[in-house]
Amino acid sequence: MPPFIPLPLTRLTLAVITAGAFIASPLIYAEEHEPAWAQGRSADMADSPLSPHAAPLTVTPEEEIPLDHLRMPDGFSAEIWAHGMPGARMMALGDEGTLFVGTRSIGRVYAVHDNGDEREHVIIAEGLPQPNGVAFSDGSLYVAAINRIFRYDDIESHLTNGDDIPEPEELTDAFGLPDDEHHGWKFLAFGPDGRLYVPVGAPCNGCEVDPDTHATIHSFEPDGSDMRIEARGVRNSVGFDFHPDTGELWFTDNNQDWIGEHGPGDELNRLGEPGEHFGFPECHSIGIVDPELGSADACDDKTLPAAVTDPHSAPLGMRFYTGEMFPEEYRNAIFIARRGSWNRTLSVGYDVLVAKLSEDGQRADLSPFMVGLLDPQENSFSGRPVDVLQMPDGALLVSDEQNGAIYRISYETPDYVE
Amino acid sequence: MRRQACAPPWRRALVLSLACIGLLGAEAQSQESPAAGLPLEEQTQICGSCHGEDGNATEKGVPSLAGQPALALTNQLIYFRERLRRNEIMTPQAQGLSDEEIQGLAAYYAEQPLAPPDEAPDKELMERGRELAREHRCASCHRTDFSGQQQMPRLAHQREDYLAQAMRDYRERARGGPDTTMVEVLRNVDDDEIDALAHFLAHFERG
Repeated sequence: MPPFIPLPLTRLTLAVITAGAFIASPLIYAEEHEPAWAQGRSADMADSPLSPHAAPLTVTPEEEIPLDHLRMPDGFSAEIWAHGMPGARMMALGDEGTLFVGTRSIGRVYAVHDNGDEREHVIIAEGLPQPNGVAFSDGSLYVAAINRIFRYDDIESHLTNGDDIPEPEELTDAFGLPDDEHHGWKFLAFGPDGRLYVPVGAPCNGCEVDPDTHATIHSFEPDGSDMRIEARGVRNSVGFDFHPDTGELWFTDNNQDWIGEHGPGDELNRLGEPGEHFGFPECHSIGIVDPELGSADACDDKTLPAAVTDPHSAPLGMRFYTGEMFPEEYRNAIFIARRGSWNRTLSVGYDVLVAKLSEDGQRADLSPFMVGLLDPQENSFSGRPVDVLQMPDGALLVSDEQNGAIYRISYETPDYVE
Repeated sequence: MRRQACAPPWRRALVLSLACIGLLGAEAQSQESPAAGLPLEEQTQICGSCHGEDGNATEKGVPSLAGQPALALTNQLIYFRERLRRNEIMTPQAQGLSDEEIQGLAAYYAEQPLAPPDEAPDKELMERGRELAREHRCASCHRTDFSGQQQMPRLAHQREDYLAQAMRDYRERARGGPDTTMVEVLRNVDDDEIDALAHFLAHFERG
């Protein structure tokens, strides 16, 4: 039986901080005295056992991968599609069917080859600073590490033929991204306009940022030219996709830590107009004014989320579903991987949600789709979904960073359905 | 069973791509750690020549490994192996170690007791360090007794010179490795403050 990993459970009174009791980030701490309203809180917070869970950098044996924990609606089933890839996170599919997988801590990019019966993987890049973002276009794989962008041309033919893989083209200077490390890991995706979309997270938990350089989503021509600011006030987006019909950019965003256990909620957003401001750092989630950085009207000119989900639950990779395999109700819905919380005593997330859009296409309704990796009674987890990807046959891949595995979710109409 | 499937021609692609990426030092590429493939007792003798027989380091600037959380040791060795943390000595030492060997070494050192420093603490520095540790919320990850947890290392009774250097390296982004949290935490911490923190943590006693 795969183990559940215990989470720190602490005295609730210590860690339950209301949204009003804002705790300054270390950055602000170093420069300013603690504000009066937070007096007496810092010692409490210093005793808090909450801290990020480490993603294992070692291989999880197949028999310990928690496949039998996964639960989905009737008709859906999961299998282990690939494994043995520590830190597997974001996924991109090549034209010839190679799956490329980015990582953070372990610094690798994997390529998974499917021969029909089983999958083989190789490491195509290593030693990179958090190469989280992978995107594929026109025969080339694009990899976004912290501060660096690489392009691997004709990558699939090199892999198939066993040719030398030529040294990647480094596009770092052309993109000219800021060099901050904190929240510097990138998601990467091509839009329907053929442009490459690149988020730049806030270099802090909470702080003032230049709205043109940080807490943004930019787009570029694939060579790094013609930068545009698509979205502002986005604290740290690690997942987005484009509506199959309208082409609109939808993205997840992770809200601030240490403001409170029960808020502000993490976000699913819809970009209506280029350049819209989504609130960070002065307005959080569904219109919560930041007690330190926001004025009373801070939320007035901000775009509020299309949907919110549990605070700290870390919604990351998300994709619209356009396949034929799943029932009609999932068409143009969004699957969202939630990596799961750390800055919260009682854990939430560690699952895949489905977001069904409202009729006017402006809002979304979230519900659980794949659960079982979180054991709420024990407050422990056994896996951490980070990304989802629709395969050509309509099956859905889910990457599990905790176990270095990729699950394949497929659907067959249950016998009892006419 | 683990399918570490790298059948040709994929295997070939792997080896060549490593050389191509241009991020690997040629020196590390060709060398394998002298400890790779040896039984644990022989491996710990190799490590012990710098880190102390029982993981209590006596050499200047060399960290003690005793009493560290196993995951903290595992991760740092993997960062060295993957050349994500560059260190003239340790990056080559970690080449060729398997996940299992690294986990075995980490489990061994996690079990060894760590001795406190011999010299008496400086009262003023201790107070200043205590204050700074509170201000920067060190305990929120490293625990209130600074014994560390999971990937976050033990700080209590670690060598003072090593702690100070590690903090400076984080601040100057000279340490390498994917840990961005410490870079952010130490961004505006000056040398005097780092020295006070290092002194306090090296001499920390509960109570």
